[in-house]
Amino acid sequence: MAAVERLSFDALVVGGGIAGIEAAINLGDNGLRVLLVEKDLTLGGKMIMLSKVFPTLDCAACITTPKISEVARHPNVTIFTNTEVKSIQKQDMHYFKASLVRHPRYVDESACTGCQLCEEACPAVVPDQYQYDLVGRKAAYIPFSIASPRVATIDMDHCVLCGACERVCPPQCIDFTQEPAECQIIMKTVIVATGLQLFDPARIERFRSGHAKNVITAMQMERLLAPTRPYNHVLRPGDGKAPDKIAYVLCVGSRDRTVGNPICSQICCMYSIKQAQLLMGALPMADVTIYYINIRSYGKGFEEFYEQAKGMGVNFVKGKVGQITEKENGNLVLRYEDIRSGRLKEAEHDLVVLSVGSLADPDASGFFTDGRWEQDEFHFPRQKDLFFNPALSSIKGVFLAGTTSCPMDIPDTILSAGAASMEAIRYIKQSALGI
Amino acid sequence: MKRKIGVYICHCGGNISDYVDVEKVRQAAAKEAGVALARTMEFACADSSQKEIAQDIQEGAVDSFVVASCSPKLHLPTFQSVAERAGLNKYQYVHANIREQVSWAHSDDKEGATAKAVQFVRAAIAKVRLAKAIEPIEIQTQRAVLVVGAGVAGMKAATSLAKMGVNVYLIEKEHFVGGRVSQWDVLCITEETGKDLVTRFYIDVVANQNITLFTGAELVECSGSMGNFTVKVRITPRYVKDICEKDRMRRAIEVCPVEVVDEFNFSITKRKAIYHNFPSQYPLVAVVDMKHCTRCGKCEKECEKIDFSQEEKVVELKVGSILVAAGFDPYTPKNGEFGYQVYDNVITLPQFKRLVAISDTELKWKGRPVQTIAYIYCVGSRQLEGENKYCSRYCCLTTICAAIKAGEKFSGLSHFHFTRGIRTYGKYETFFYEASKRGQVFLQSFEDDPPQVTQKDGRTLVRIHDILTSRREVEVDADLVVLVTGMVPRTDGRIGEILKLPRGRDRFYNEIHMKLRPVETVIDGVTIAGACRGPQNVVEAINSSLSAAIKSYSFVRRDTLAIEPIVAEIDPDACTWCEACAKACPFDAIARDASTGKEIARVNTPVCKGCGMCLPVCPANAIQLRTFSDEEVQQMIGVLAHEL
Amino acid sequence: MPEGRRDGAKILVFSTEKISDPAIDMAGLLKLHYPPRVYTIAVPCSSAVKPHWILHAFAQGFDGVFIAADGSDCPYGESCTEKTGALVQKTHALMKEQNLDAARLKMAAICSVCSESFVKHMKSFSEALQKGK
Repeated sequence: MAAVERLSFDALVVGGGIAGIEAAINLGDNGLRVLLVEKDLTLGGKMIMLSKVFPTLDCAACITTPKISEVARHPNVTIFTNTEVKSIQKQDMHYFKASLVRHPRYVDESACTGCQLCEEACPAVVPDQYQYDLVGRKAAYIPFSIASPRVATIDMDHCVLCGACERVCPPQCIDFTQEPAECQIIMKTVIVATGLQLFDPARIERFRSGHAKNVITAMQMERLLAPTRPYNHVLRPGDGKAPDKIAYVLCVGSRDRTVGNPICSQICCMYSIKQAQLLMGALPMADVTIYYINIRSYGKGFEEFYEQAKGMGVNFVKGKVGQITEKENGNLVLRYEDIRSGRLKEAEHDLVVLSVGSLADPDASGFFTDGRWEQDEFHFPRQKDLFFNPALSSIKGVFLAGTTSCPMDIPDTILSAGAASMEAIRYIKQSALGI
Repeated sequence: MKRKIGVYICHCGGNISDYVDVEKVRQAAAKEAGVALARTMEFACADSSQKEIAQDIQEGAVDSFVVASCSPKLHLPTFQSVAERAGLNKYQYVHANIREQVSWAHSDDKEGATAKAVQFVRAAIAKVRLAKAIEPIEIQTQRAVLVVGAGVAGMKAATSLAKMGVNVYLIEKEHFVGGRVSQWDVLCITEETGKDLVTRFYIDVVANQNITLFTGAELVECSGSMGNFTVKVRITPRYVKDICEKDRMRRAIEVCPVEVVDEFNFSITKRKAIYHNFPSQYPLVAVVDMKHCTRCGKCEKECEKIDFSQEEKVVELKVGSILVAAGFDPYTPKNGEFGYQVYDNVITLPQFKRLVAISDTELKWKGRPVQTIAYIYCVGSRQLEGENKYCSRYCCLTTICAAIKAGEKFSGLSHFHFTRGIRTYGKYETFFYEASKRGQVFLQSFEDDPPQVTQKDGRTLVRIHDILTSRREVEVDADLVVLVTGMVPRTDGRIGEILKLPRGRDRFYNEIHMKLRPVETVIDGVTIAGACRGPQNVVEAINSSLSAAIKSYSFVRRDTLAIEPIVAEIDPDACTWCEACAKACPFDAIARDASTGKEIARVNTPVCKGCGMCLPVCPANAIQLRTFSDEEVQQMIGVLAHEL
Repeated sequence: MPEGRRDGAKILVFSTEKISDPAIDMAGLLKLHYPPRVYTIAVPCSSAVKPHWILHAFAQGFDGVFIAADGSDCPYGESCTEKTGALVQKTHALMKEQNLDAARLKMAAICSVCSESFVKHMKSFSEALQKGK
């Protein structure tokens, strides 16, 4: 590793999703010098991958990108993408220290113009994690068209070292000699905005995720519906056929004690209803059925949105899906308990979308190496004083933003990030006064 | 004076120059009137290129410039800061987008792309030729915030702002602080009571010298704009000067002959005309309710602090931002709605919660012991017929918790929940699980077949066709029927009207953007927090309150606010004041002005956002938008139309 | 060189800084081609376009004018759609007075990622104007 870089900031924001972006802008706008760290190659988190948002049906990318450019050009905010937080420790009364590793892109970030010639030249093709493996990408690649920073990266796990990218790069910015660089940061406060982890449906064998090709996750459906989508059409991955009988299975990995997650994920009902509405638009002839336990359309405008979906002809079936079986033609048979009739029933669909729940992200617990980081029974960080100071973690000076502390939708995430920023600023102010 | 325009054309390492003949573009640019120099650059955004441009400016070779490169969304601020670093006003630089909209868009047609690039650069030159230096608009700001409503959201916002060194005027319509939360007993999730939580907030409020609390206070007028509002607040007196010795106030209350319905307990009890809502409610000073007081003078004899000479007053305050945390009202069921006010044992959820809070050893209603309780959900929410289409969000959880707490406090209760599908979202799911585990019964009605409440032989029956047991008819003989009433916007006088805050279809205040700007409003400088935004629980209200506080703080943290000077300008000679522009303006930034003797439209520049919606509606064409004047736009059109 | 020597219709597009112009940028980014004689002028909001600017464009020799409207995404409020509609209507009336074919002015909402839709509009508008010549 190269020599250790040492930097100091007022605040460290961990996580460059919408919560971290909002927090960084809030802090920066109010005069704090902020370091925003993202482990991924681009800012935007989960939100930038979404198609549209409920219940306004705004295009997610369209409303996220202005926020991203605001933070990216903010004079008080420094951004490290592709950077991992190794540890955060309290140094003394007023300061924390963090150790970061900045992973190499093998591309000189400041010189890359995002022209994508390297991408065209690269011969290595691998599944594209930004399209949730629906399509492929190159080993030399830009994550997606609205990535920020919009610069190339060489995926060394898959690079064949042919040098094709180097030869075509106009500013000669490809650099295979880059190495991980350690970085020590001193700061006064920390906002943790590491976000949520989606439930891996392969853990529930009977839903055949990963085996039956036409069983996909809701996040994959988001990509199929997004304006920056991979195929330009909604089609089922098994054979490329446009689906016309689509099923949503709700509460996959939520409200389920058998997988250790008894709580409700708060967002799945609504994103499924949203996708159903978008599907009715994209595939006017298709039938969409949502299998649910309870529809939780609790937020502002949500109930009206649910009613709208019913009005559009989305079929809501109260019932728990027990088993999914794949037929030879790729269709799926759902066996479910129909609560209204009290009978076990079967229904055939040609595409099944699993509305996977959200879990606590395990990363955050690893940062705090001195053992003072407390968690609740669901592995979310403990909110020390829920009503009085909801953003406060178990460590004084460390605040929680967004889905780090519990599942929530985008507006609640923004509010939580606002709360964390206000508390962080106040904390610095009072800490300086010795209070 | 002759312009010395510099034109810098970027190759973008081939991204432009592979499809556009940049040398040809350069030559065309050099021929344009006013162009002092035209250069091509490998990467215009590179440090060395930026220095080159700055040097040209500093040496006086260039007094305005055009950069032709990628989209201005990427590098407009880059070159604006080059201008500023070199001592040039940033509006004397104009950008031409010859990558996204030329070389990449027409990579199939190099000749076409080159011709188009020439046109774009010429149009930019035409525009920069007319460019003037524009200074940012500065507003002097008041380092003070008005917080409307001293419930938990308002108090949290007030203390957060005060701790940042901001002066806060916290006004509360009631005579006591705490809002709705002070009416709750044990709050869900933690074991804290609403009263205790309010006490914690209140201690923070009074401990901070930056906060001035006015109770009995109502907003009556507001003028000015972001950074500099003038508000008028009407304050009704308490008619009690200070805290009396404890016993003397107790006696003063005892001797009061007037009894009125106690709204604090949602009318299930009575209070006197001189009262506290409860003994330790803040501020600790009692209040005389003048609407009902008969001025018999008995209380005055018990406590010398009672003072009927106090008078209503109006205070004027200057603030830079206004944070509205006006709260909610519980929905009041209509007469006959599920037997409300027809059967005397049908009460609302807030009444039930007060009843549980003030009952000691036994749960009784109207003297009769209560054992079986039926809760009917979604009363006033998710209405099929009525206008409240929305879900009130907090009721499922709060009802389940109230039932759990009642069960812990009083033995032998049976709970039957008549739901429309329980919505204990997130971690709150555990409470639903807990209640079920304790044997509480959850039933669910069909959407079009709500539960029925009837009385027969002195028994109150609640009947439902239950989804969960395949439409079986279930009947419960209930001692008490609790209507789980939702939230409606608080009757808050004229706040919304005075501040011109728009309301949504649900009649709660509307944010500027539901997803990403949930506490800001279309009125710059005015933020919203808590349940006046829409139904929410305490945690969510506190989060929104802190979010609103940080946004309000950003309006007042500096002495001045600088805003984009791209605003509309009125030509006073041409304007004949027809009001069309004022009507078209979505921000109320245009008003009539007769100060010069002639009636004309005047733009309130701090409020103008430069959208230009007023431009096309003016019949006299008397409005110009800075940097988009007729001259600038028409010059560009003319150049673009005449291809070289 | 003689003016107008090149093929295809000459179109002026009024785009909007925050919504439709980013979509037009993205069309380039995705290398979605459209006729090169499409020239854009970005304004803050589509409801800020003055009718006489449009008439000026026709007078100066543009074959068509296209307003890439904000639609419901307008950052300045919901009234944008209605107001843009009103100015188009007003301009159509003025065009009628000058015997200009109303089809030479078109408007469509282009959201900030509606690149494909923009390109489709440009292709069909250009073709239609070409036929009308």
